[in-house]
Amino acid sequence: MKMLNVTINGTVTQVPEGTTIMQAAAQLGIDIPALCYLKGVNEVGACRICVVEVKGARTLQASCVLPVSEGMEIQTESPSVVTARKEILKLILANHPNDCLTCNKAGECKLQEYAYRYDVKFEEHQGERKNLGIDTSNPYIYRDNNKCILCGRCVSMCAKVPERAVLAFGNRGFETTVVADNNKTMGESNCVSCARCISVCPVGALIDSRTMNIARSWELQKEDVKCAVCEHGCDFQLLKKNGKVVAVRALAAGEGRPLCLKGRLTVDLTYNDNPKTPLVKKDGEFVEATWAEVLGLDKILGKI
Amino acid sequence: MVNLTINGKPVQVENNTTILQAAESLGIEIPTFCYDKRLIGHGACRICVVEVKGAKALQTACTVPVAEGMIVETHSPSVIEARKETLKLMIENHPLDCLTCEKSGNCKLQDYCYEYDVKEGGYNGEKKNYPIDDSNPFFTLDRNKCIMCGKCIRVDNELQCTGAINYNERGFDTHVGIPYDRDFEQSACVSCGNCVSVCPVGALMPKHPEKFRAWELRKVKTTCPYCGVGCQMELLVKGNKVVGVEPVNVDPNNGLLCVKGKFGYRFIDHPDRLKTPYIRKNGELVEATWDEAYHLIAEKMLETKEKYGPNSLGGFSSARCTNEENYLFQKLFRAVIGTNNVDHCARL
Repeated sequence: MKMLNVTINGTVTQVPEGTTIMQAAAQLGIDIPALCYLKGVNEVGACRICVVEVKGARTLQASCVLPVSEGMEIQTESPSVVTARKEILKLILANHPNDCLTCNKAGECKLQEYAYRYDVKFEEHQGERKNLGIDTSNPYIYRDNNKCILCGRCVSMCAKVPERAVLAFGNRGFETTVVADNNKTMGESNCVSCARCISVCPVGALIDSRTMNIARSWELQKEDVKCAVCEHGCDFQLLKKNGKVVAVRALAAGEGRPLCLKGRLTVDLTYNDNPKTPLVKKDGEFVEATWAEVLGLDKILGKI
Repeated sequence: MVNLTINGKPVQVENNTTILQAAESLGIEIPTFCYDKRLIGHGACRICVVEVKGAKALQTACTVPVAEGMIVETHSPSVIEARKETLKLMIENHPLDCLTCEKSGNCKLQDYCYEYDVKEGGYNGEKKNYPIDDSNPFFTLDRNKCIMCGKCIRVDNELQCTGAINYNERGFDTHVGIPYDRDFEQSACVSCGNCVSVCPVGALMPKHPEKFRAWELRKVKTTCPYCGVGCQMELLVKGNKVVGVEPVNVDPNNGLLCVKGKFGYRFIDHPDRLKTPYIRKNGELVEATWDEAYHLIAEKMLETKEKYGPNSLGGFSSARCTNEENYLFQKLFRAVIGTNNVDHCARL
């Protein structure tokens, strides 16, 4: 493998050919902010927050997609980079609800993290703002497109599920939103509530409804567990408050067929101290069901 | 003893107990901003209001004592409506700055707004517009974020007894400050930081060069090393760096600290901090091990004692040592060296 010499923030390092600037920086312990980048899933350079200064380049470069070349000299936090990142954050915040006071994502939100890091605040302005309805038609997925920053992570993630690709970008320009099927509600769409989109959303646009209004992220103790339903062993996280498991959520999906609804419900039933009644879609409507029914144990239980 | 019923549960408590304390004994949590069990009841913030059967209006649980046969509802619809309204009035005149506010994650106003689902005031009224007061070297006062609970003033006057801050002006213009709106530097303030420790919102905040959010911190309980009082405190640690100190409400300090305990922690990571002993060799100070240093001290002391007698030596101990260490120190001088020349720095 050909090795390339690069200089990042004055430190010289060697990385294999094909490494992106972001990966090379990570090897040196340099954290470059990223909103849209998701390894192997969404490598599109859309959000521009990861821009860096490359000596000799005409403009700032998106570090998540640009591979390093021999002798490259990179600055990841130079004044022009910081100015660009602040401007990007200002533009995102200009069209984002000022709701950290009660937003369920607060404390785990990438937008909040970077706004704090680069000291960017909400500003009053006369410009247009998105004014879309909140979609609660799916009892498992709370969708607030006003908070969406159009990073595309959920769209790429959904497209990875065989026979799904429910989520896509709809409309153009300022009107662009993430839509489910042909701009249906999540409940009406072909969505099977696998929650992979939720696990990758960097902001509060997609939230697991079952974690809503329970506690703030900073009040929760978190414990990672593996699902034992099939051989994939998907990762889930138990959210505990005062020692009790109050909710279970899916972590970012890996390869294979992870985070299926059956797995999610089984983990919920196994660990949650007070699991909520499961809901199943019948004739296009979500209706309450028994645990035996949703986990496919009806027949077995009938024979016992 | 008094018998009363709270949320349908009968409870027996001592006379002069407040409704809030009686509810606490049942494990019922009533929200509070201005209440602090160490302070005289204030009843200012109105978030603790509860419904008492037969009473004309909602009552503040933190100040109203229980009475025989009282029937109390702590979370009835009218109570919740009143609390929501109180929060709306507070948030209406509060900067919506949770995005970057240092208090976010540790803020009572944020906690209760989440609990009672209050997102905004909705009145479109006047807003406070004060410059941020950074005249104290250890903390800042952002009066725009102040909710007028008065905890800072009462801790200052009732517990710290410095009397540096109080309310200035009246009505909408009421604000916390030094008399005649002077700077903290021109005031009686001793920078103990107890006002900062009790502020439920982001109005009084410690100054620090590090950037961190409340949820990134780990708390380590320890004893303040500065003097013999042994105040209990929690170090706020980000990664492996101490970035703040909070008092702990137990004996002997009961949630109070002095300026040294509250703000004097930066020596921990200071580049000038001595971490090993140094020994002067050929006119130069060079790093040494503790064994080398102790050997040298013992050697010199014995040498001096032999040459000039035990009274040529004197021991000077420190208030930073524990009683046990000071006991051993005087024992060393009296019994081993043989002199009564022992003293103590009394304070730092």
